[in-house]
Amino acid sequence: MAFKLTMPQLGLTMKVGTIVEWYKKDGDPIKSGDAVFAVETDKAVQDYESPSSGTLKLAPDVVGKPLPLGIPVEGMIGYLLEPGEAAPAEGQAAADAPEPVAVAAASASTASAVAAPQKVYKSSPLARKVAQLAGIDLATVVPEDGEKIHRKDVEAAVAARDAAKATVPAAPRPVAPAPAPSAPAVTAPLAGKAVPMSQVRRVIAQRMAEASQTTAAVTVTTEADATVLVEFREQAKASLQAAGLPVPSYTDMIVKLTALALQEHPGVNAALAGDEIIEMQDIHVAVAVDTDYGLLVPVIRDVPHKTLQQIAVEAKTLAEKARERKVGPDELQGGTFTVTNLGNYGVDAFTPIINLPQCAILGVGRIVGKPAEYKGEIALRKMLTLSLTFDHRVVDGGPAARFLNRIRQYVEDPYLWLTR
Amino acid sequence: MIQQDGGGAVTTARTHAAPLIGSERDRLLWMYKTMQRIRLFDDRIVRLFNSGRITGALHSYVGEEAVAVGVCANLRPDDYLVSTHRGHGHMLAKGADMDRMMAELFAKETGYCQGKGGSMHIVDMSLGILGSNGIVGAGIPIASGAGTAIKIRGTDQVVSCHFGDGASNTGAFHEGINLAATWGLPVVFVIENNLYAQFTPQRMHTKVVDLAVRGQAYDIPAVSVDGNDVLAVSEAAGEAFARARSGKGPSILECKTFRWFGHAINNPGSNLGRDQAEIDAWKLKDPIPRFAKVLVDRGIATEAELEGLKRVVEEELEHSIAFAEASPSPKPEDALRHVYSELPEGCEL
Amino acid sequence: MRQLMVRDAIKEAIKSEMRRDPRVFLLGEDIIDPWGGSWKTMEGCYTEFGPERVRETPISEEAIVGAAVGAALCGMRPVAEIMFSDFTTRAMDQIVNQAAKFRYMTGGQASVPLVIRTAHGAGRAAAAQHSQSPEAWFVHTPGLKVVAPATPYDAKGLLLASIRDQDPVIFLEHKMNFTTEGPVPEEDYVVPLGKADVKRQGKDLTIVAHSRQVLRALEAAEQVAKEDGIEAEVVDPRTLFPLDVRTIVDSVKKTNRVVLVTEEVQRGSFAEHVASKIMEKCFYDLDGPIIFVAAKNTPIPFAPVMENFVIPDVPDIVAGIRQAMKA
Repeated sequence: MAFKLTMPQLGLTMKVGTIVEWYKKDGDPIKSGDAVFAVETDKAVQDYESPSSGTLKLAPDVVGKPLPLGIPVEGMIGYLLEPGEAAPAEGQAAADAPEPVAVAAASASTASAVAAPQKVYKSSPLARKVAQLAGIDLATVVPEDGEKIHRKDVEAAVAARDAAKATVPAAPRPVAPAPAPSAPAVTAPLAGKAVPMSQVRRVIAQRMAEASQTTAAVTVTTEADATVLVEFREQAKASLQAAGLPVPSYTDMIVKLTALALQEHPGVNAALAGDEIIEMQDIHVAVAVDTDYGLLVPVIRDVPHKTLQQIAVEAKTLAEKARERKVGPDELQGGTFTVTNLGNYGVDAFTPIINLPQCAILGVGRIVGKPAEYKGEIALRKMLTLSLTFDHRVVDGGPAARFLNRIRQYVEDPYLWLTR
Repeated sequence: MIQQDGGGAVTTARTHAAPLIGSERDRLLWMYKTMQRIRLFDDRIVRLFNSGRITGALHSYVGEEAVAVGVCANLRPDDYLVSTHRGHGHMLAKGADMDRMMAELFAKETGYCQGKGGSMHIVDMSLGILGSNGIVGAGIPIASGAGTAIKIRGTDQVVSCHFGDGASNTGAFHEGINLAATWGLPVVFVIENNLYAQFTPQRMHTKVVDLAVRGQAYDIPAVSVDGNDVLAVSEAAGEAFARARSGKGPSILECKTFRWFGHAINNPGSNLGRDQAEIDAWKLKDPIPRFAKVLVDRGIATEAELEGLKRVVEEELEHSIAFAEASPSPKPEDALRHVYSELPEGCEL
Repeated sequence: MRQLMVRDAIKEAIKSEMRRDPRVFLLGEDIIDPWGGSWKTMEGCYTEFGPERVRETPISEEAIVGAAVGAALCGMRPVAEIMFSDFTTRAMDQIVNQAAKFRYMTGGQASVPLVIRTAHGAGRAAAAQHSQSPEAWFVHTPGLKVVAPATPYDAKGLLLASIRDQDPVIFLEHKMNFTTEGPVPEEDYVVPLGKADVKRQGKDLTIVAHSRQVLRALEAAEQVAKEDGIEAEVVDPRTLFPLDVRTIVDSVKKTNRVVLVTEEVQRGSFAEHVASKIMEKCFYDLDGPIIFVAAKNTPIPFAPVMENFVIPDVPDIVAGIRQAMKA
């Protein structure tokens, strides 16, 4: 029986989902769990995984439409058909649905049972080059001769786009990320293999470029003696493992102690909104996770109120979900400060980029044995470099330095906060 | 313009060409020494090849020394010589420098062809040698072309064109000699008949026994001589070149000889089917001891003097190996040079 | 300017260069007076320069080219005629293994400055062994330069450049072109090897053609300009190697469409080499596939109706242009 695909509700506030990439096309066989498309909400791009199996039959209002394509939550996307099955008429589908819902506007306009598959046109090398330079998606170009896309067809599409821009300035911009504004125009094909940008990559590119262009970022670094912290973790590890409990990572501990330091320095737990600086009420720490498809930053909420054990469990779950592309948009939103740890990769100091709208980010380096002064003598100590990038529009150097120094104290003497 | 050549022209520093002036004794001792140069050089390259120090297709002249030397004893430095794939003997007899020959076999930049030719194409154009040719018979029309150049310019130079019994069955043999005969060109066609066309014995590829009889077809003088008797070769060649220099046209000089090794050193199978008794019999006719005996018997040189000449050649040979080993290899990209004289700017090969 | 036929332009180049340079001499079959060569390109040379420098040869193509190689190695500048380009097969060893490779094999010691003039192309009902266009055999051989003039002006200037060149040159003369007339200056001039000529400017499409097909391409270009309003650019490489790739690529970058016209069989032809260069250098400037207007992949047949079918003519090129504009 035909399974109906609709735009899922991906966040509490989500009204419209924007399809920014198709992984499957009309007529493709789909297995349960296959990613069908990428949907972008205001914060993240997420893959939509099919809840059922069958042959994909896209709704007439969806098939062949240029991306990005906005569809209201619960709006019709298409069907998964069994072999030999035709797409049901709209009324029947509604009747078949376990819980009849109000038919979304997008799917109400037509009752045609089978949509014609989108025609894929061939294009000349020159047409491709011109399209690439002009930012035209060739899938949106219909050739004049009805067979192949040539330069003149792309040029017509460019003219149409430019005319639309000029005459409808108030048209709502699609949510699709714009290319980085300062990217130099490509005038000649570059030597190398072209790897298309994934939607995740595009979002990262956009956010990073925006942050690095709009913030007044300053990075300060300090070195902390983490010997006691290391000893504490080693002791805790043995006991926790014996008890079958999760062992907090250094990142978990730094997330926790940073959150406590933020409580004492609310000026760093802040965001710039127009003419106002908002000192955030809650402390939600975002933690950078390196995944196969790009950087994701899931958020651990209300960190000061969570035990180290809770943080360890939550951080582990979020990181796994991120790596499996299962992290939800709600879990990627709302951070007030970010911690990024490159210590595993042997990095000491670095200059992280602020995760807007936050105003600061802490970069954590590796813990490494070094000769250092300890109680008036040179001793081999476990040293850790901390890099704090802050937005000088929001925070001055003094407060930022005091905040970083507090973190250093917490690293060097963990009992200051572990006992709280 | 992109210069494709440059640095190609060579001048032989030490010449070993036949003496233009001097006594008959000087000439005879030059012949003896030159036969030893060929013998020791081509004997050594067999061992260098077998020990892996040199590579490629190598064709030994050992056993045939009297032919190249007897012929070249009559040549001037400005005379031309057209050689073959079995060309080391012609090179040395025309006066080539052993160092640069050895360096070419070692595939070194200092070799005569800067490593582009190897044994089969080894050449010193400055000695008037118009190529060592890997295509059997191809040198014959080229020699006629050199004779044409001489005739147009009106000089008394001559061309010595060397090839084997195998080449005498190519179309180029007929076309080239017919042209030379018709135009009366100053070319001596030296058939180095070593009785085998690569592996195949003469009786299986040619009906006639004396290849010189083919001269009748072109109405030009042609003789067969004992190619292992350097004096016989020299005398017959002298007559042929005298005719050529005086405008009386081309001749054929067939020198019957024998190569001791197989067709090519890198092809040991090429000695298969050759009767060891035949090889042994020819070794008894070794041209070098034969000539040494004549020199001693006639009181031209003592055995000690001849031994001294051989030692000089041995030193020259050792020097050439040291020179070759110490020389740099060509750069791989040097392969892109010398395809053309020059190409327009921006033109890809 | 004075009008000359191609054969007279060639004759003028030969004679003037023989007067200028005593190293130049001629050899070939039936070239002495009163014949002056089968194509009348050497008429009067024997009378003026005598038997030493105008050498009548036996029917021995290998010896003709071999003798040219030997003389060139000795510092002469032979100009050999192989009556039909089909007969170069009889001299292929001398052309490919000797003339082309001597400089290389000797590490730059040798130069082989010779010219082999030979008549190619179909159109005389001469059948399969007297009508070929074997350009690709020579273009394929490193060490050779290959020249194919279309006009009397180019024939004279290119032949003078070829005789003065230090490398062996295969000089292809189309046998239907010997009586084509055009302006030729009386003075000495060279058309440098490796320089293409844009024979007609156009913005819509590039035609690359050589030898006789340049003239047919120009005719076709005029026709489509009148009937279709298509402005075709006609590029004549003039030397097939060294090839002026830059001029071809510049034209393709301007017009974005290409028709390659050749009288060769298409398979493995010089024209296909041009196509490969276009693909390498300006693939992303193509707005449609490269269209070939080439001879069929057959030997040349005798019957004129079949010969005309096999060889590209003006209607074929016009059709090719229209196809390229649509594709």
